[in-house]
Amino acid sequence: GSPGSSFRGRCSVPETAMGKKLIGCPVCIEHKKYSRNALLFNLGLVCDARTKTCALEPIVKKLSGYLTTLELESGFISNEESKQKLLPIMSTLLEELNATGACTLPIDESNTINLKLIEQRRDPLIVQEYDVPVFTQCKDHFIKSQWDLTTQQILAYIDGFRHIQKISAEADVELNLVRIAVQNLLYYGVVTLVSIFQYSNVYCTTPTVQSLIDDRSIQEECLNYVTKKGQKRACLRDVFQLYCGLTPGTTVRDLCSRYSQQLQRVDERRLIQYGLMKALIRRLQKYPVKVTRDERSRPPRLYTGCHSYDEICCKTGMSYKELDERLENDPNIIVCWK
Amino acid sequence: MYIHSSSFDLQGERKSMYKQSENSFFKRGEKTSPISVILVTSGSRGNKLLFRYPFQRVADCTSSLTTKQRSPYALNTTGDVLEDPDGDSREQTPLTDQQLVAGFSDIILATILATKSDMCGKKFELKIDNVRFVGHPTLLQHPHTIQVSKTDPSPKREMPTMILFSVVFALRANADPSVISCMHNLSRRIAIALQHEERRCQYLTREAKLMLAVQDEVTNMTETDGSPQSPFRQILPKCKLARDLKEAYDSLCTTGVVRLHINNWLEVSFCLPHKIHRVGGNHVPPEALERSLKAIRPYHALLLLDSEKALLAQLPLDCSPALVRLIKTCSAVKNLQQLAQDADLNLLQIFQIAAHLVYWGKAIIVYPLCENNVYMLSPHANISLYSPLAEAFGQQFPGHDLPSMLAKFSLPLSLSEFRNPLDASVQEAQLIQMVVWMLQRRLLIQLHTYVCLLVPPSEEEPGLLRDEELPLVARVGGRSLSTPSALSFGSPTSSDDMTLTSPSMDNSSAELLPGGDSPLNRRMTETLLASLTEHERQVILNIPAAQSPEDLRMFARLLHYFRGHHHLEEIMYNENMRRSQLKTLFDKFRSVLVVTNHEDPVISLFQSPLE
Repeated sequence: GSPGSSFRGRCSVPETAMGKKLIGCPVCIEHKKYSRNALLFNLGLVCDARTKTCALEPIVKKLSGYLTTLELESGFISNEESKQKLLPIMSTLLEELNATGACTLPIDESNTINLKLIEQRRDPLIVQEYDVPVFTQCKDHFIKSQWDLTTQQILAYIDGFRHIQKISAEADVELNLVRIAVQNLLYYGVVTLVSIFQYSNVYCTTPTVQSLIDDRSIQEECLNYVTKKGQKRACLRDVFQLYCGLTPGTTVRDLCSRYSQQLQRVDERRLIQYGLMKALIRRLQKYPVKVTRDERSRPPRLYTGCHSYDEICCKTGMSYKELDERLENDPNIIVCWK
Repeated sequence: MYIHSSSFDLQGERKSMYKQSENSFFKRGEKTSPISVILVTSGSRGNKLLFRYPFQRVADCTSSLTTKQRSPYALNTTGDVLEDPDGDSREQTPLTDQQLVAGFSDIILATILATKSDMCGKKFELKIDNVRFVGHPTLLQHPHTIQVSKTDPSPKREMPTMILFSVVFALRANADPSVISCMHNLSRRIAIALQHEERRCQYLTREAKLMLAVQDEVTNMTETDGSPQSPFRQILPKCKLARDLKEAYDSLCTTGVVRLHINNWLEVSFCLPHKIHRVGGNHVPPEALERSLKAIRPYHALLLLDSEKALLAQLPLDCSPALVRLIKTCSAVKNLQQLAQDADLNLLQIFQIAAHLVYWGKAIIVYPLCENNVYMLSPHANISLYSPLAEAFGQQFPGHDLPSMLAKFSLPLSLSEFRNPLDASVQEAQLIQMVVWMLQRRLLIQLHTYVCLLVPPSEEEPGLLRDEELPLVARVGGRSLSTPSALSFGSPTSSDDMTLTSPSMDNSSAELLPGGDSPLNRRMTETLLASLTEHERQVILNIPAAQSPEDLRMFARLLHYFRGHHHLEEIMYNENMRRSQLKTLFDKFRSVLVVTNHEDPVISLFQSPLE
């Protein structure tokens, strides 16, 4: 039905009984020149009821805005002659949006409307200074010049091993800028985050490790990723044994000595990296907790069970070894791994 | 007049305030709570909004409207609205959820939410900018009967009649589809109850009359006194239905559990799983919950999250006696099969009741507690010194602190290792209670052993399993082990400490085969091994342990479990074997098996959040 005057400028999506969804943005322009002193129109999109249509709403809104401007400037819609152009415009819109997600609508010599579907993505996690960004695809896949200057400056330092703090120091870019740039890359799925790698790290398998056996494409990808450069491709059994060799209490160093035969063709750092990226394994972090203290001493700030070794070392500049030594001698502090 | 001005002035206001930048990271409000509940009707008197909650003071509403009177298309000269190059505006001050819906006047809501009769009996969903309305419009009487009644001279037919009504929930536009679906479900349930009560004793008509009367009264008062008041505030003490709707809204926003008594007669109960099943700050989507519930096995156990007493007190008077029996008999050390026997119910019933309890957040599924269970600290456990959990633990178990207990589970620890055999039995019982306490609060995960067959590659073809070697499960055609109806029950044989293992399955080879190296046995073994490649078969037959026909037969029989999807306890249960037997077998064939430990993905849902 005709939109009530209260719906001007509102994008509405009702679900009709016929299994379709209608997205519209009614417009009302009041002026004496119109019969009834107002022009009401609404260009809507009809979709299947089950489609996710969030990305289409901005398009409907923009179209409504453009058409309004056109009407105000040259009476595009109210003029019987120019109104005819709406039909080819609408069919172009439908075809091109469905085909490529973008469309160019020439209106007349001086006006063209460009529209593009923008995918809605989830908000990314907050990037911490001890997080390590790693490219989800080959780095060369991404055209450098498309990114902002900060990102371009730090791209070279993203190697899947440097953490944010290190990237900031080496690229000489302020920490927060690096954080925001990486968060942006995270948003677009260009990078994912893993933890700092050290030979003293402990990992364990997750149920997803079985996907290495079940899923052929993950097998291929994994074996290609973890094989040492210049070597014949590692075999599945060796790689699977290595992942299963990661258990609580076992450091990467231990793994290397126990499974030296399997590691002949495998780069352990890339093994860990891939495992983390695909959630085949997870890192067990250490969390110190000060469980007893005298009343005179201050309450613990970092040793509360909320801050991992990674975080504490990053913030205080201590190395793991130093932190270990400090805490081992303190009977009031216990350490939880999770 | 108030209504007219609102619809005009809000244009500019709303256009600038409500638009959002597409890349906004700003989170607003609680994503699983409704913003508002609205009751609308349509009838011979037209469309009416009977009640809405929360309501705002009319004074607030009108004052904000009259200050900004400008055309929505006027250029922004005051500069209080930022616009990015695409012409999208960014709001300066974030709006509360209340303000989002407050902008819709009663008349507008009545118009848009009260649908035509042909849309009744179906889900109604309408999204306007940042608000999504969902409801289930319900027909009270056939439209034609009104015309019939017009010819009826009896006086009561001349009164305005209600044709349809709808209980609508307003949500944030980006609410999860499963949340929207749940809200619709609740709207439907309330509608069913109201429809029933209307047919029985015209309950809805009476309540509607009351509500409209108060609204008229307040409007009259406003016109004479000039003091604006919200009619809904006056309605609450007078109308039970209004109070019910308010209660539904409040419950949805807090606990997620709604229990209403429409007309003090019909109970409507509902739970929002998103509020109940929260692990690590994220909600568990109902579909994932349902999938997990379908995968429960008879060897799992039900762990109540409340004490038996507390749980029984929450049940309505006319609840099923089976439910009561189950709650009274269940225990963390008993598997569902034993529970069925002890509670004198069949397994299917147990499964259904267990699923029900889990859905309502009253219980979780675990593996029954026993000596050999290995537990580890959950990656999502809150181990903070100052967490409310730590405090609660200290109160429940004086003299012990939670972080120290949790630290013990930093490395996987079996229950038998956790208990110190030298301690007095009182201490021991308390330690078990602590483990149960930690399990209830999702602080611990249980690790199981999984086995995978991986034969060392031959010289000629190193690398991946080739196409014909994948996947083993498909080739062997593993038996269906999941549905309870597929299992038969005999008497269980106890083997593992506190856990009872199951009787064997219908066609388990353990029952069919006699012992010894009979030709039948050899044939059986050959058949089972036939599904392997030549290379795999050769390697296996060359293992020293394969020289023993008994061992080889056992290995062949269990072959289909060696794909990493069945843990030790499951194999024990299905094949009626002891842990020691299996472990010995694994050891003998270790050159072709890879073993790993991790949580059971089927029930890990109850311990860790999903993406």
